[in-house]
Amino acid sequence: MKYVRIAVVSILVCFLYQQSFSQTLNFNNLKREDKQIVTANAGLDYGLVYGAGYGYQVKSKKPLILSVQLSGPSGENLTDDFKTKIGAQMRFYKIRNFHFTAKAHGIYRKNKNDFVTLQNFGAEVSATIGCYKQKWFTAVEVGFDKAIVTHFKHSEDYKQIYPGVQDGWYEPATGGNFNFGVLGGYSFKRSDIFLEGGLVTTQNFSKSQLPFYGRLGYTIRLK
Amino acid sequence: MKIKTKTTTVLMILVSLIFLTACKKQVFINDEGNLVPKTVEHNLSLPSIAVNGTHLHAEAFGHKDSALLIVIHGGPGADYRSLMKCEAFADQGYRVIFYDQRGAGLSKRHSKDSYSIQLTLDDLSAVITHYRTSVNQKVFLLGHSWGAMLATAYINKYPTKVNGTVLAEPGGFVWQDIVDYSKRSRDIQFTRELVSDLLYPNQFITGKDSEHAILDYKMSLSSIADGHQDNPTGNEGKLPFWRWGAVTNEALFKIGDRDKPNWTTNLNQYNTKVLFVYSENNKAYGLQHAQKVSSAYLNVQLFKVNGAGHDMLSFSTGFNNFYPVALTYLNALK
Repeated sequence: MKYVRIAVVSILVCFLYQQSFSQTLNFNNLKREDKQIVTANAGLDYGLVYGAGYGYQVKSKKPLILSVQLSGPSGENLTDDFKTKIGAQMRFYKIRNFHFTAKAHGIYRKNKNDFVTLQNFGAEVSATIGCYKQKWFTAVEVGFDKAIVTHFKHSEDYKQIYPGVQDGWYEPATGGNFNFGVLGGYSFKRSDIFLEGGLVTTQNFSKSQLPFYGRLGYTIRLK
Repeated sequence: MKIKTKTTTVLMILVSLIFLTACKKQVFINDEGNLVPKTVEHNLSLPSIAVNGTHLHAEAFGHKDSALLIVIHGGPGADYRSLMKCEAFADQGYRVIFYDQRGAGLSKRHSKDSYSIQLTLDDLSAVITHYRTSVNQKVFLLGHSWGAMLATAYINKYPTKVNGTVLAEPGGFVWQDIVDYSKRSRDIQFTRELVSDLLYPNQFITGKDSEHAILDYKMSLSSIADGHQDNPTGNEGKLPFWRWGAVTNEALFKIGDRDKPNWTTNLNQYNTKVLFVYSENNKAYGLQHAQKVSSAYLNVQLFKVNGAGHDMLSFSTGFNNFYPVALTYLNALK
């Protein structure tokens, strides 16, 4: 039953956020014929993280990019911790060089350490307001990342610490974090180099263990 | 077409809600006992004492009239499980007292704004009073890490109330020494797996200050660093513990950062020799820091525990090297 439940939740998350996305790019330079957007980045996001993403611009009245992303923290084991996102990004309003965009993603992520393996289905939404020119862009963004449902499976190490620990899907939502930041980029030909960063705070506005994020990335638009 | 899409959406949401609510086994993250063991407040079978307006997880070993040896754990927010080897002193004529500090281990939780250094000293006084059977019964303190700082804060405040003390790697007795040592003890290369394992769970688990089970569990995950090859503190393995007290840990660190304590101002009133031990394998500590910190006392016996890291009292090699020296020291004062 719990697997069915998780499947339904994940489908629902993706379904609800089908109008959301995820690339950092210069919207001023995004043309109708730019069908594919590829990005790579590295920075701080609950650790030292490397990521890559692929976006596809669909036909619509307003610029709309469907995207998938994969990222993971540095370390000796590259497969035990990772985050995947699927969603969309849309510019929903534009006045002169000012663009208002929104992103939403469904998230599946995993973390394994000596005590526990965590698997989580979550969602992330964010809004960006910025000035986008041909050669450069700058913006402010605010976002919220909700860890909706998480599975805990504990190791023998932790069971020696606490034999009574319960494995399973935990409720209610096990976590949530806000992020507030700025981003900027330089554009040339069909490419953007961007830098973004800001503060991370928990949904209760208490300080996170790594209370900031930052990312340096490269985006290229392809026909 | 639009009507069909809307109908599909509503149906999917309804089906999802049915599945969400129909699941028989729900595990709630903030329920006591699911991720972390229950405290004395929720598990009445645990050994405990009610003192100074709280309920402390505590145990005593040895004859009740023997000299008291109060074991004070580190953290702040850890517990005495890793110090249980010290029970051996009970066989040598000591009444060995273990207690989890307020809001730590399996002791009762309290609100974040209720903590103060004076309250932790009052708790220690209350523990001594609870177990002391006569005014002539001698009192010795054995503090590890934060526990050694707390022992020193107590002696600084009440220099005539303690007949001897064993201090194992206190970070410092003045705030700057504590900050410096804390930085060195957490000096782990940022690209290492251990750092990812410590930071990555922050996106999975968050909690309010009142959600002790969540916060304590999250802090427990930090214990994966114990004994890790990248950890400069040099332990030989993972430490046993019951349950971390995340709120008391954060509260006491914030108090330290705000008040910049100095627990050396009155130590010149304490003439008794102090046994100050540090470990061979803790790269963040060493002889230099041990000399600097221990110099606040007038009369110090400095001893290096070979074959051990910061938690030298928790593993066999360290404890076996420590025990005879500590016993000789205590017996000389008994």
